[in-house]
Amino acid sequence: MTLGSGGSSVVVPRNFRLLEELERGEKGIGDGTVSYGMDDGDDIYMRSWTGTVIGPHNTVHEGRIYQLKLFCDKDYPEKPPSVRFHSRINITCVNHETGVVEPKKFALLANWQREYTMEDILTQLKKEMATPHNRKLVQPPEGTYF
Amino acid sequence: MANSNLPRRIIKETQRLLSEPAPGISASPSEDNMRYFNVMILGPTQSPYEGLGSWRSPSTSSCGVVETGGVFKLELFLPEEYPMAAPKVRFLTKIYHPNIDKLGRICLDILKDKWSPALQIRTVLLSIQALLSAPNPDDPLSENIAKHWKTKEAEAVETAKEWTRLYASGA
Repeated sequence: MTLGSGGSSVVVPRNFRLLEELERGEKGIGDGTVSYGMDDGDDIYMRSWTGTVIGPHNTVHEGRIYQLKLFCDKDYPEKPPSVRFHSRINITCVNHETGVVEPKKFALLANWQREYTMEDILTQLKKEMATPHNRKLVQPPEGTYF
Repeated sequence: MANSNLPRRIIKETQRLLSEPAPGISASPSEDNMRYFNVMILGPTQSPYEGLGSWRSPSTSSCGVVETGGVFKLELFLPEEYPMAAPKVRFLTKIYHPNIDKLGRICLDILKDKWSPALQIRTVLLSIQALLSAPNPDDPLSENIAKHWKTKEAEAVETAKEWTRLYASGA
């Protein structure tokens, strides 16, 4: 399901779109391997979010819990949020020094469309961990942070 | 063009909102999205949300004139299914009220299971204005505020007045 799209000309404004995402995140998504929530319950503009991805099976990431920060600025969802890993990780689309997910190396951000959601980003990052070029890379110690 | 398929009903409602606004309520669509409305509601008189001077001038029924407080900003969106589904509404101005949460979301039956397509944007906004006059701590959205309201009502009302002064100045 894609939030905020209806295959028609109806455009869900930013704030209502984020409220939809918030409610979906609160209900819990799929098998629970990706989740997210708002950082500051007082921020009426719902800018800062924390996402979690549990490393997929049969990879070096298996069982690891990765924390990410997502920032939805005023121009979300026309523009993608900025995304960075808080937990240290070694995969090709993540800057080794800052943890920032680099749009140039992560197609979902590079080719962003307004109907994409934070859930899509987290799910895609989980898939990214399982790609042949990422699944066996040596990882920093678990529980370390950028 | 994003608004080319705007249903006639929405156009009609919008025209009427603009030409005959309800007292103490203004709602105008955004330029780039005709389903998205900027809303102002004046706090009702004799409620903790009223503007400090608004009761002195009963002729002042439109928003933007009273500058002493009690002006609440909201946003409203008509989803694709409207009028088969309720409008989505929330407060942008911080407000201390048992049926409104920190994100401005409103607990009101007609926005949920009691919605009927016979209702309109106008009736929704009037109901929200009425909710300001009659907080309902027995069906709370903010547990803490509801508890405050039920145990120390006078104190809760004072807090609501204080927040009105602090945040609903209309600036």
